[in-house]
Amino acid sequence: MKFLRKILDNLEPKFTKGGPLEKFHAVYNAADTILFSTDEKTESAPHIRDSLDNKRIMILVVVALLPCYIFGAINIGYQSSQFSGIERSGWENFWFGFGVILPILITAFATGAFWEVLFAVIRKHPISEGFLVTCALIPLLMPPTIPLWQVAAATTFGVVIGKEIFGGVGMNIFNPALVARAFIFFAYPSQISGDKVWLKVDGVSGATALAVPAAVENGNAVDLLSKITQFDYSWSNMFWGYIPGSIGETNKFLIMIGLLFLVMTKIANWRVIVGALIGLVGTASLTNIMAPLSSNTMLTLPPHYHLVMGGFLFGLAFMATEPVTGAHTDKGRWIFGILFGALTVIIRSINPAYPEGTMLAILLMNAFAPLIDYYVVQSNIKRRMARYAAE
Amino acid sequence: MSRITIKKGHDIHMSGEPAKNIESAGHPTFVAYQPEEFRYIKPKLLVKEGDSVKIGSPIFFDKCMPDVKWASIGGGKISAIHYGYRRVIEKIIIELDKYEEAVEYTAFDHNEISGLSKTQVTDHLLAAGIWPMIRQRPYNKIANPEDTPNSIFISCYNSAPLTVDLDVALRNRSSSFQAGITALSKLTDGNVNVIVDETCTSSTFMDLKDAETHMISGPHPAGNVGIQIHHIDPLKPGKVVWTVDAQHVVTIGRLFLKGVFDPSLIIAVGGSGVKNPTHLKSRLGASMETLTVDRLQDGPQRMISGDVLTGKTSDKNDFVHFYESTVSVIPHSDKRPFLGMLHPGSGKSHYSLTNTYFSFGANSFPFSTLLNGEERAMMPINSWENVLPMDILPNQLYRAILANDVEEMEQLGLIECDEEDFALCSFACPSKIDVGSVIRQGLDVLEKEE
Repeated sequence: MKFLRKILDNLEPKFTKGGPLEKFHAVYNAADTILFSTDEKTESAPHIRDSLDNKRIMILVVVALLPCYIFGAINIGYQSSQFSGIERSGWENFWFGFGVILPILITAFATGAFWEVLFAVIRKHPISEGFLVTCALIPLLMPPTIPLWQVAAATTFGVVIGKEIFGGVGMNIFNPALVARAFIFFAYPSQISGDKVWLKVDGVSGATALAVPAAVENGNAVDLLSKITQFDYSWSNMFWGYIPGSIGETNKFLIMIGLLFLVMTKIANWRVIVGALIGLVGTASLTNIMAPLSSNTMLTLPPHYHLVMGGFLFGLAFMATEPVTGAHTDKGRWIFGILFGALTVIIRSINPAYPEGTMLAILLMNAFAPLIDYYVVQSNIKRRMARYAAE
Repeated sequence: MSRITIKKGHDIHMSGEPAKNIESAGHPTFVAYQPEEFRYIKPKLLVKEGDSVKIGSPIFFDKCMPDVKWASIGGGKISAIHYGYRRVIEKIIIELDKYEEAVEYTAFDHNEISGLSKTQVTDHLLAAGIWPMIRQRPYNKIANPEDTPNSIFISCYNSAPLTVDLDVALRNRSSSFQAGITALSKLTDGNVNVIVDETCTSSTFMDLKDAETHMISGPHPAGNVGIQIHHIDPLKPGKVVWTVDAQHVVTIGRLFLKGVFDPSLIIAVGGSGVKNPTHLKSRLGASMETLTVDRLQDGPQRMISGDVLTGKTSDKNDFVHFYESTVSVIPHSDKRPFLGMLHPGSGKSHYSLTNTYFSFGANSFPFSTLLNGEERAMMPINSWENVLPMDILPNQLYRAILANDVEEMEQLGLIECDEEDFALCSFACPSKIDVGSVIRQGLDVLEKEE
C-alpha cells in the first residue's frame, strides 16, 4: 500500500492552505483517514486514548448490516422465482437480487456522498463517517421495486432535512435513514404505504402479512395468516425471512445476530432493546386481552407474531438503538425503549391507515427523546437539590 | 473504619509500571517552582535573580492571600526567573549548593503537636511557607487559611496508571505521617479522612490516631480524592473540604517534628519510553533531566510531569510540578495502518474499553501519544458514564458548560467535580472530546462568580 500512501502524500499540498483545491480539504482528509488511520496526537492530558473512534463505530454498524444485505439479495431472487416460475439455484437467486440491490446502493451512496461533501465544503467541517451508516441503511429500508430516482430523492431528503440542517452527525434529532423512508412513504403513498407486497415480478400483487389481519373484521389474526396461500406467512417462515418485504428487514435471525453484535461491542445500548421488547410484548398482550371487546382483528395478533412481522426488529436493531437520536440517559433509554415497543403495537393495531407502525413509532420517539431526557435530568437535579438542602 | 466499593471506572493496564523499590536519583543541580500551576493566585516575587536562598526562605506570595507564601524548595541561589506572555512568571529556578542551608523552626514531639491549637498549626504552616500543600475542594485550589473545612481528605491510594505506590513511598515514614495527620486534625472540626486501598496491608496506614480510615475498592478513579469526597462527605455549595497529598503529609509532619522543611519526595518514573521504570528518591520541583537521564528509550518521546491521564506535557528543561510525584514517558507513534478502521484488533495493537476490537487479555499495553481518531461531535454511547463513579450526568453537564448556563451547571453538580475525575471520560471518548478541560472551564466561571 506504499504507492497509495505516496499518491496521497503527493496530493496533499494541493489541498492544504494556499493550494488550488484548498476548499476540498475535507474530501482529501476523508480519503486519507479512511484509507490510513490518522496519526493525529494528543496535545494535553489525557495523553493516551482509547482505540475506539467514530469511524470504527460506524464501520461496525455497516458490518452488522452486511448479513441483511446478503440475505436480502437471496430473498429477492427467491421471491421472484416463486412467482415467475423460473427455477434458480441459491447462487443464481443471490446474483439476481444483487443486480437489483446494487443500483439502489450506488444511488444511495452517490446521493448521500454528494450532499455530505457539499455541506462539509461549504461549512468547512470534516466529512462525517456517519453518512456511511445512513447510506447503508437506506437501501435496506426500500422495497426492491423502487425506482432509482425515488431512492435519490429520499436520500436527499434524509441527509439534508434529517441531518445537515441540524449541523450534521451528532446534532440531528431524527434518524436520517428513517426520515428518508418516511419521505417516500408520505410522498408516494400509493406505492410505499406497506399494505401491498413488492415483488420483482410484473403483475403479481398481494397483501403484506401485517395488512392481512388489518383488512378483516372480527377475525383471528393467526388463523387469517395461515389461510393465505399466496405466501407462507407462518411464524417460522416470517422469522427466517422468506417473505416479500423491504430489502433488509425480512430475515429476523440475521437481524438478531447483528443486534447481538452491536450489543456485545457496546455500540447499541441493551436498555433500549430490553425496554422495547417489554413494551411490545406487554402492549400486545394487553390488546389480546381486550380483543373480544372490539371487532378489530389486529388486536388478536399475539406478541410473538408482532415480533417477527414488519420492520420491528430491524428498526429496533439499527435505528432505535442509534445513540444520537435516542435518549441520552440510562433511565431515559428504558422509557424510550418501552414506549417505542408500545407505540409500534398501538399504531399497527389501532390505526388502520398504517399497517406498519415501526417507522412512525421510532420517529415519534426521536421527537420525544429530548423531553424524556429533560425529565430524567430534572429528577437528578431535584435529588441533588434535596441533598444540598438536607445537610 | 468504613468500606466503599466503586463499580464504575477502569484500571488502565499500561506497560512501564514502576518497580516497587526506591533508587536514589542523585543530588540534582537545579530545582524550580512553576507558579502557573497554582490556580487562581497572583504570585508576587520576594526574590530576584542572583539572590541566595535557604531551604524554607520565602520565594513568592499570593497577592490575594498575602499570608500564603511559598518556601524555597532548595538552598543555593536563584539562577533564573523565566517570564512568559504578559510577564507571567513561568519558572523560578534555584541552583542548589552542595551543602544546602535550611531555615529552622520550633520542633515539637507527638504529644506537643496534639496540644496545639488551630491558629498555632495554621501560623506554623504559613510561616514555613508550605501552606500551598493544602488544597480545597471545590475548585481544587489552595486552601484559604481563614476557612474551617468540614473535613480533610488524604488519599493513600493512587489508582491512575504508573503513579507512585504510596505503600512503597511511605515505608519507614509512619512517624512523620502520623505527626502530619495530628497537626492537620487541628485544622478541622470534622474528620481527617485517610483513604486506603482495600488490599493495603501497610502498617503506615493502619491504627492511625486522629484520623478516620476508609477502605476503598474498585478501579480507577477510586484513588482520586474527588471521587472519595463524593462518596464520604459530598460537597455542596458553601461547603469546603481540604485535601493533602499523602507525601505532603509526611513533609508537614517532619516540619513539626524536626523544625525544618524537608523537600524530599519519592517520584515514580514510568512508561514504555523508560528503560527501567522505578521509584526515585528525589525532591519537590526536581528537573526532568535529572530524573530521566540514562533512562530514556530511543526514538521520539513525550515527557509528562504527572500521570498520563492528568499530567502536563513537558520536556527535559522542565521541572516536576509541585503537586505531582510521577514522571511518565510515552513514545510518539507515526504508524498509519492501511484501512485501520477495519482492523480486527489484538492485545498488542489496540486497547479499548469497548469490545469493538479483539483486544482482551491486554495486560500491559504500550500506549503512545496517538489520539486514535479525530475529534467529532459527541456520540452518546455511555463511554463517559461508564467510567465516572459519581452521581453526575457528565453529558448534560458538559453541554451546560458549553452553553455557559451557570444556573444549570450548578444544578447539575459542577461544584462537586474536578477535571482530574473526568480524565478517564476523555480517555474513553470515541469522539476524542477533552471533557476535563471543559469541566475546568466551567469551574473557572463559577469561581469567578464567587
